[in-house]
Amino acid sequence: MRALSIAATGMQAQQTNVEVIANNLANMNTTAYKTQSPEFQDLLYQNVETPGSQTSDSGTVLPSGIQLGAGVRTAAVYRITTQGALESTSNTYDFAVQGPGYFRVVMPDGTDSYTRAGNFALSPTGLIVTQDGYTVEPGISVPANALSVSVNTQGQVQATVPGATAPTTLGQIELDRFPNEAGLNALGDNLFQQTQSSGAPQAGVPGAAGYGTIQQGFLETSNVNAVQEITSLITAQRAYEMNSKVITAANDMLQMTASMGQG
Amino acid sequence: MNQTMLVSLSQQLATYQAMDSIANNIANVSTPAYKRETPTFQEYVAKVQPAEGDKGSKSVSYVQETGAVRDLKEGPMETTGGKFDFAIHGNGYFAVQTANGERYTRNGHFTLDLNGKLSTEEGDQVETQGGPLSITPQDGDVNVAADGTVSATINGTQSQLGKLKVVSFANERALQKEGDSLYSTTQTANPATNVKVVQGMLEASNVQPVIEISNMIEIMRTYQATSNLSQTQHSQDMQSIDKLAQVQD
Repeated sequence: MRALSIAATGMQAQQTNVEVIANNLANMNTTAYKTQSPEFQDLLYQNVETPGSQTSDSGTVLPSGIQLGAGVRTAAVYRITTQGALESTSNTYDFAVQGPGYFRVVMPDGTDSYTRAGNFALSPTGLIVTQDGYTVEPGISVPANALSVSVNTQGQVQATVPGATAPTTLGQIELDRFPNEAGLNALGDNLFQQTQSSGAPQAGVPGAAGYGTIQQGFLETSNVNAVQEITSLITAQRAYEMNSKVITAANDMLQMTASMGQG
Repeated sequence: MNQTMLVSLSQQLATYQAMDSIANNIANVSTPAYKRETPTFQEYVAKVQPAEGDKGSKSVSYVQETGAVRDLKEGPMETTGGKFDFAIHGNGYFAVQTANGERYTRNGHFTLDLNGKLSTEEGDQVETQGGPLSITPQDGDVNVAADGTVSATINGTQSQLGKLKVVSFANERALQKEGDSLYSTTQTANPATNVKVVQGMLEASNVQPVIEISNMIEIMRTYQATSNLSQTQHSQDMQSIDKLAQVQD
């Protein structure tokens, strides 16, 4: 009886569905978190009678045939990379990207990772770093005596120091884009890594064609839509329940079979 | 074995298959653009040897599965907001280039590959009319019109990138399911007419849980009835053996 295993694949898929929803809801307040969504696809079919095969010598063919399905599988869990809302924090080192692009961050092992969570801070040596202490490229150093630091929408970092009338330019923050940003590998801690499927990063100045702008004093909130997630949760729960009903029914049928011929 | 047993066996085998197809429908309740299938049965009439003293010929009907009918009704449209999520309203399929040749799908959840080419989650390229379609970050916002024309807008200037290939077939039911939401066929793919491509939406599965569950209950009861029939026949056989043995004494 295949119904048992088919329904099991259905339950597994719905379990993945609930896990993804749980992760989305858990990250509702994570800076720049992107909603994930699972994609389901039907499994291979067993051809009992192939559609279009001949049924007589005069050339009549089977209109539909018999194809037995084997259930469902999770093909992918993809990120929905729409812009999250910008939340005002008034913090000097909070940067939000309005539009496409990622900040580039140097990991302790020297490799690059990418993030849209711009809740940065200063290191003991005055470098702009992430909350984990990783340097935000290109490694902008803020003088200890700076009175104020400002970042314009084009990513230029400037500081006012005592005694100087004009602000000093400290550096330029760049943004990176990917041909397929859904293909980035999530490392956790809001960081992403380049993969085969994301393609190579393309650096650019914020505000240039195709790149977003930087908003100082703002953070990008997650793009999780609670109403949508709860609706999906209800649907997933019901679908899980239905698959388990199929298992019960198939089990009952098998039980009847087993008890046939007794007495 | 006597005819009653054989006829009920054919019925039980058929209900097993019907149950499998319901299980597959329910398992795919969240698969985009999945089309539900129902098996069809017909009677297979067989002549039987008339009992001694009986006049005329007798026949019994076995159950035979003849095919699975795909319900081609359009599934409900669900908003996903995905830039590369497309639903087809009307009779049409997207053409996809796979390693095994051209395949067709109504599941319009696409993504970009590392070269910016529009492809499925399996990495198969989505076909367009006239050349492959690549979308680079520099193209800006991508918009797909109802006729499948892909265009990009950047700084207020619009440029056309290509047009999605949407096809239809003379006999849609004869398309063969391949899994992964793909269909294959030997029929010629004609450009689809009267179809609308909707961006940011996906066609949901057209499985209706109420129908599947009530069909499932019906199948279970049918199975039970047939199994009771076999049971009755079995005890009759046992009794007749007992009784006949007693006569001999």
